[in-house]
Amino acid sequence: MASSELPSSEHASRPLRLECVESIPAGTTTRHVDQLDTETLDTFYAALDGDRSLLEADTDLEIGEVIVFTEYYRVDHV
Amino acid sequence: MTHYVIIGDGISGSSAAETLREKDPEAKITVITDEGEPLYNRILIKEHAKGKLPEAPISIHDEGWYEERDIDLSLNTHVTSVDTDARIVHTHEGDELEYDKLLVATGGTPTQLPVDNSDADGIHHFWTFQDARAIREHADQADKGVIVGAGLLGIDFAAVCGAQGIEADYLMRGDRWWRYALSADGAEIMHEGMRDVGVEPVFDSGVDRFETDDDGHVTAAVDPNGERYDCDFAGVAIGLTFNTEYLQGAGLEEDNGIVVDEYMQTNVDDVYAAGDITRFYDVLLGEQAQNGSWGSAKEQGRIAAVNMAADEEAEAFEWVSSYSITHFDFPFLSFGHPTLGDEHAERKYSDTEWRRIAFKDGKIVGGVLIGDLSPQSKFKQLMREQREVADQAEVLLEQEVDLDELAAPQEQ
Repeated sequence: MASSELPSSEHASRPLRLECVESIPAGTTTRHVDQLDTETLDTFYAALDGDRSLLEADTDLEIGEVIVFTEYYRVDHV
Repeated sequence: MTHYVIIGDGISGSSAAETLREKDPEAKITVITDEGEPLYNRILIKEHAKGKLPEAPISIHDEGWYEERDIDLSLNTHVTSVDTDARIVHTHEGDELEYDKLLVATGGTPTQLPVDNSDADGIHHFWTFQDARAIREHADQADKGVIVGAGLLGIDFAAVCGAQGIEADYLMRGDRWWRYALSADGAEIMHEGMRDVGVEPVFDSGVDRFETDDDGHVTAAVDPNGERYDCDFAGVAIGLTFNTEYLQGAGLEEDNGIVVDEYMQTNVDDVYAAGDITRFYDVLLGEQAQNGSWGSAKEQGRIAAVNMAADEEAEAFEWVSSYSITHFDFPFLSFGHPTLGDEHAERKYSDTEWRRIAFKDGKIVGGVLIGDLSPQSKFKQLMREQREVADQAEVLLEQEVDLDELAAPQEQ
């Protein structure tokens, strides 16, 4: 199981991380990347590449939800 | 009290119902669907068919969602006709619903191949949650597959075969996958992705007929060259036929879809349309266009509802769509209208990175990104601004796109 930890460089918002998961429990909110708005999508891509911190206030991502991309990524606090 | 009737409970119909309730709290709202379940996530059903995602996360609304918003939901209800003079919707059970404003959001149905045995057992089309359940169940037991339809829908079958361990041949009529939007360089990256999951692309092929056993189960596909491909599973995705049969005699203008303006209005008073079924006026493109993406359908439903509730042309649809393929190790994204344009620029950056931009009258109208999707928001911004940038394609093809490197826009 891989994980991409994304520490915050500022304290404007709590930092998030994207954890690669193999399976999704039945009650988990799940979205495909095509459901993200353009700004969140940009931040999501950059976070996966390690180019940008993922801050809660910068996206519409929700803690605990899973985003379906080339892998399944669970959104969590760092 | 205004009565809004919405035919279709996909994302556009559901989005419209939610918006109408917000804009017109006192109105009567009725949603009619021929499916047996409320709105589900049509993007994620492919993950279910692959055997990776359980059913529960795919459901978006339960019936309680509609009750809480005082929206009447009629499941398993077929609309048989619409009388736009009397403003009445007729259903298969003989019910008549009078409406003040009507939204048509019935989408399409997969087109069947016009060849022998195309309705045999084991040949699947992929559109509804029910389709996904059947594909998942069958794919789990199948060994050898054939896929037909070299486009965005067909590749989902390749992913299903790959994930379910089905060795498959992907029969394509041309010399590459999605030849209308990809050059040989871009397509070859996708072909490698298919091969990596056990799906072999076969070019200059297609299907002349299917063969079956005595029980009517598919056993092979035969292509126009006479080549025979054994299979016990087949996936066909050659396009959608729009569900407009029930609208015959309603007076709606059609052109391979229902023609609407940028306010989602049809040519008939108080009848609107939204989602896949529309041929809408794209204000960025300056002509009628079609789009089947989730975001576009959701936004069209919202825009239609805003204008229905306002009873005027309150807000226009202006949207740059995008559609991702996330089945392989590398991501793929098409945006705008990548198959249109009078000029193109492209570059390959590595074995899994490629970019192509389509221009019309010097402006970006769409494109495809493979591998590195990071420029997507910049290209969408240029589309919304309608900047003439075709003569600066080199800047747009740099690995890191810096819009500040573009020459300042000319004063009009």
